Amino acid sequence: MAQNEELYNAILKGKRKIVQAIAEQAVADAADVEELLMESMIPAMKEIGDRFSRNEAYVPEMLIAARAMQTGLDILEPVLAAKGHEPIAKVAVGTVKGDLHDIGKNLVVIMLKGAGFEVIDVGTDCDVQKFEEAVNDGASAVCCSALLTTTMPYMKEVVEHFATKDDVKILIGGAPVTQAYAEEIGADGFANDANGAVNAVTECLGIAS
Amino acid sequence: MNAITTMNASQRFHAIMEGRPFDRLPLVEWAAWWQDQTVVNWHQQGLPKDLTDRYDICEHFGLELWYQDWLRPRHWECPGALYHGGPIINDERGYNYENIHQHLFNWPVDKQKWAQWAEKREQRDDVLLWFSLDGFFWFPRTIFGIENHLLAFYDEPELMHRMNDELANWMISTIDTICEVCTPDFMTFAEDMSYNNGPMLSEDMFNEFMLPYYQRVVPHLKKKGIKVIVDSDGDITEALPWFEAAGVEGILPLERQAGVDIDALQSISPDMCFVGHFDKLTMDKGEERMRQEFERLLPAASKGRFIPSCDHQTPPAVSYDDYKLYMELFTEYAHKAGALMNTT
Repeated sequence: MAQNEELYNAILKGKRKIVQAIAEQAVADAADVEELLMESMIPAMKEIGDRFSRNEAYVPEMLIAARAMQTGLDILEPVLAAKGHEPIAKVAVGTVKGDLHDIGKNLVVIMLKGAGFEVIDVGTDCDVQKFEEAVNDGASAVCCSALLTTTMPYMKEVVEHFATKDDVKILIGGAPVTQAYAEEIGADGFANDANGAVNAVTECLGIAS
Repeated sequence: MNAITTMNASQRFHAIMEGRPFDRLPLVEWAAWWQDQTVVNWHQQGLPKDLTDRYDICEHFGLELWYQDWLRPRHWECPGALYHGGPIINDERGYNYENIHQHLFNWPVDKQKWAQWAEKREQRDDVLLWFSLDGFFWFPRTIFGIENHLLAFYDEPELMHRMNDELANWMISTIDTICEVCTPDFMTFAEDMSYNNGPMLSEDMFNEFMLPYYQRVVPHLKKKGIKVIVDSDGDITEALPWFEAAGVEGILPLERQAGVDIDALQSISPDMCFVGHFDKLTMDKGEERMRQEFERLLPAASKGRFIPSCDHQTPPAVSYDDYKLYMELFTEYAHKAGALMNTT
């Protein structure tokens, strides 16, 4: 399989019109869209994520890349679905009860989608019931985000709520959250940034990367 | 070296900011407490219930009175976001920058309040005056909304420049209006442009969309004798030289949870001033842990150009007794830093 350099670079640089044109042409030509996704689009998102983690790319660059990715996915998804392409796993993402700060959560959503996960965006100010609904809808991992030290303790309630469900992994992240805090409350995973969230979810779910 | 005589709050602040000897550190909270959480708890735990005003509570704890006025470029009649972090323009309501423009850059300065504060500063030895302005990252964010703002660096560069150009003009006239009454000790540009892994935007973006406007306003402030500080949460280590190049003289609050380290900051920019950095999460962990935190900060504080203070609002988990203990230790270390500064 080969990488489509033009598509890869268009996503990396957030050039959504180019992505749109390539994706539409691929569908029209009945090209191998799964190959485009796996060999060009997902690697481009992985590269921008890696650059983001190294502070070589910043949030605006992540957002425009993700927007370009989404433009391509919107065009390719019907074809992918018709061919029986399955997402890697289903993941729920939300900010915990009391916390309305969602930029970090949105970046995690972007990166997970870009890595091939199906994401249930539970939104902001989520209590355990909202996360429970997502789990009932098939999410095998729950990613909780908090910006505030005042809302961070609610993560413990989420962890405790799902404590008896071994098949559901709880991951946490956000500005005040640390690996030590994740261990203290018994979370299954922790991520330092949006790109790290992909790795953490992948590891927690035992998925080969 | 001769012993430093007792200073008033203004003298002390300027001495520390300029790296000169000082009598002790200021005892200060740069940010108000969570009224609906921390203060509510304290009222149940012994804080007199009639104390609700920020400055009354400061006096109760023996904190200096840093009177702050936040001057907003958006008038109170300006439409707001429908939800936290949401956009004001370019949503389903049909607002755009043109049709909200009548509500921008016309918030009146309360000159009477400033005159009263200036009088207090003359009469008392524990008063400092400062004001805050929405910065060149913060203001466009409030208009675009958090996510659209970050996209706007690529999607709407001309509008971003126009916003910041108009903001800079308004800042200069607002500064002049305040200075007709008195000269504040310092000001802060509210930015919040970093998170726990560093700045949200690149240096190139900073240089294109923010630096030119800082370079217009900062010299004006310095000419007036007003110290210039940037307020940015998160890890500002990477962006520190960017702000220094813009003429900014100080940064706060240096959040410990974001991994900020005062020794690294002083090493990168020895002429910059720093405020905050006391890890708020230690404040409910008892004397030993709080003492460790003060010990961590003492060497940096005794060099000057650093005013330790809680690194953001005091968390609600910190009890009234915790806070009284924090103040006892703060006072002890404030004097230790002054003594060390004057013997080195």
